[in-house]
Amino acid sequence: MKTTNLTAGLVLAAAMVPALSGAAFAQDKGVTIVLSEELDLVDPCMATRSNIGRVVLQNISETLTELDVRGDKGVMPRLAESWDMVDDNTWRFNLRQGVKFSDGTAFDAADVIHSFERTQSDANTCEISRYYEGIDLTFTAVDDNTLDIKSVPAQPIMPLLISLLTIVPSETAMEFTRDPIGTGPYTLAEWNVGQNITLERRDDYWGEAPAVETATYVFRSEPAVRAAMVAAGEADIAPSISAIEASNAATDASYPNSETTYLRIDHGTAPFDDLRVRQALNLAIDREAFIGTILSEGVIPAVAIVPPSTLGWNPDIAAPTYDLERAKELLAEAAADGVPVDTEFLVVGRTGNFPGATEVYEAITSMLGDAGFNARLQMVEVAEHEQFYSRPFVDGTPYLVGAQHDNSRGDPVFSMFFKYHSEGRQSGIMDPKLDALIDSATAATGDERVALWQDTFAYLHDEIASDGLLFHMVGFARVGENVNFTPTIATNGALQLADITFN
Amino acid sequence: MKNRIGQRAISSLISLFGLVILVFFLSRLTGDPSALFLPVDASESMRENFRELHGLNDPLLVQFGHYVGDLLRGDFGDSLRRARPALDVVLEAFVWTLQLAAITMTLVTIAAIVVGSIAAFKVGSLFDRAASLLSLIGASAPDFWIAIVAIVVFSLQLGWLPTSGTGTVWHWVLPITILFLRPFGLILQVVRGSMLTALGSAYVKTARAKGVKNNRLIFVHTLRNAMLPVITVIGDQAAALLNGAVIVETIFGFPGVGKLMIDAILQRDFNVILAAIMVTALAIFIMNLLIDLAYAILDPRIRT
Repeated sequence: MKTTNLTAGLVLAAAMVPALSGAAFAQDKGVTIVLSEELDLVDPCMATRSNIGRVVLQNISETLTELDVRGDKGVMPRLAESWDMVDDNTWRFNLRQGVKFSDGTAFDAADVIHSFERTQSDANTCEISRYYEGIDLTFTAVDDNTLDIKSVPAQPIMPLLISLLTIVPSETAMEFTRDPIGTGPYTLAEWNVGQNITLERRDDYWGEAPAVETATYVFRSEPAVRAAMVAAGEADIAPSISAIEASNAATDASYPNSETTYLRIDHGTAPFDDLRVRQALNLAIDREAFIGTILSEGVIPAVAIVPPSTLGWNPDIAAPTYDLERAKELLAEAAADGVPVDTEFLVVGRTGNFPGATEVYEAITSMLGDAGFNARLQMVEVAEHEQFYSRPFVDGTPYLVGAQHDNSRGDPVFSMFFKYHSEGRQSGIMDPKLDALIDSATAATGDERVALWQDTFAYLHDEIASDGLLFHMVGFARVGENVNFTPTIATNGALQLADITFN
Repeated sequence: MKNRIGQRAISSLISLFGLVILVFFLSRLTGDPSALFLPVDASESMRENFRELHGLNDPLLVQFGHYVGDLLRGDFGDSLRRARPALDVVLEAFVWTLQLAAITMTLVTIAAIVVGSIAAFKVGSLFDRAASLLSLIGASAPDFWIAIVAIVVFSLQLGWLPTSGTGTVWHWVLPITILFLRPFGLILQVVRGSMLTALGSAYVKTARAKGVKNNRLIFVHTLRNAMLPVITVIGDQAAALLNGAVIVETIFGFPGVGKLMIDAILQRDFNVILAAIMVTALAIFIMNLLIDLAYAILDPRIRT
């Protein structure tokens, strides 16, 4: 009886459902990519946000420069062919000629200037602008294809900084746009809100034509469904699936997702103002015990707030070995000197911050208890977490903040001021020596920059036990057997269709 | 009857206004949307710009005054996250929800009435027991789990149906089946119970004595009298579906109003929260009117 009714219902459904176009099945030379959440915006100036970047960045909108994430070529040309320093404060970029936007207008220096001014406008809330915060930048067109960027203070990594600025035509309004125009190999062909976004390859792209002709993006918030879609052949790439789903070696791969988890310590509050207490905290956490259990295989115990592929990474720093006895000794020594080591403090974690977040913080709280700390777990949601994380800090019970930090940009400068400088919004440290190190590394170039960042990392980790560094995290992607695509550290925030080929 | 509908309309308007006040202030108590919209390392000046742009710096009462003023002109304001009118965002999603709810409730109503009536007529039979057991399983199994298992079985193993999404008629089969189970089980039980009572009444015995055939006896004489409590439950279940089917929408990637509302709450997208609540409240209000009408049609005593 029920079956008959269901069949009847199907006929009814067919009559009631409006004609819907665009099946999500992969076509020839087309790929379907399944993302974790729908895009609320497609504005190029929001491309630093993960799912927006995966659609827009370098597919629709390009940048002057681009960081090489597959090799070690550093910053590579894209819309700028070359660049050099004119003086300490000024960089000159020579722009590529003959490039056209998808609306047919030519690309020139005025477009770059407008793109930057747009990020600074009050009429929108462009995210890119945060990378230019605190820098006084002046863009000057020397001629149509030459651009000078003057900065105060000097920015030795200007070519890297400018790799974040997506270029829009100078006609683009200051308000958020839903029709992004760019110089990239694809255009936004269709956006069925709630259902899918389709990009189509341009015939008049200035560079080499990519293999993929059309790309359809669909959105599923459930990771099991994303994985199932690739398994069923409905989608070709799921850039983010859960570790549990990633069980098929033929299609699933892990990649460093540029996130680092850590416990932020406020060095200004007892008992964490004592070095021995901070060292004890680090020795009391058995990092190896998490790998392949609560967290997936492939995560690496962290020795810095940035992933190992970052400039200035210090290979000589080793993660602390778990040593409960030594931790207890250190606490006892501190207690003997009058440090209130039995003060109760909170371990503040953010629910759903990463898969297994609650379990990780539960285990850490318990490990700290074993060493003699008086720790209590408090899981909070995003908005409340932010209050604990950023200055001014919350008064009352001392606390550690469990957090996850993303730096896929290739240079520590995007993290260090925020996290460690006396004036950094999320820094728990006030240390003039550290400030000087960060300031000088920020201003340095070449080998000197590498050396200074290495010194900074060594100082943070080995000398002042700045925080409870936990893990460099991994993400998992599933790639269908019809296409070739290798996820990298950049897959967290971009997915260049040009990197996809067909088998 | 007209009076009744008039009274209902007025009391519904009052409750809608109460809802606006409540939701407006409650949602603003939950925190600052700039903390959620902007990245964690956004500077204070970016946050300030965001708040200024969206009028979040004004005193609450001023914000409320603006909001009610705009509302009276039919303007629900813009979505904070999507930079487009909140009402458009909600209506796009609501069309999906409405279709899901309409199809599901139509199927559920037909199936539950037919199966429930037969079960009541053959009370104690194998059919009755099987129907009761299956409906109880359907009504109590977690839909999250059934949905995932259904995808694994019907999409991955058998390859009969698409896993999720929209596009063809086949995309609707799994979500509607999952949504079908719970109200089907509940309504079937109510139909069965109500029919049992009616079947024991004097007029049924009279009809039987006069030799009325079984089909006519069940579906014409008894059912109409047994329908009043059933309609109430159908109304309840339909209202739940109109509020969105969060789990089914989330798993199957169906762009309905349930997931939209949850996301809007998590992201403090105030204007979308309010628009979504107003639209669904209005839909439920209209549905209640329809149910009143159905009562009146079924029971002449109510018409006066």
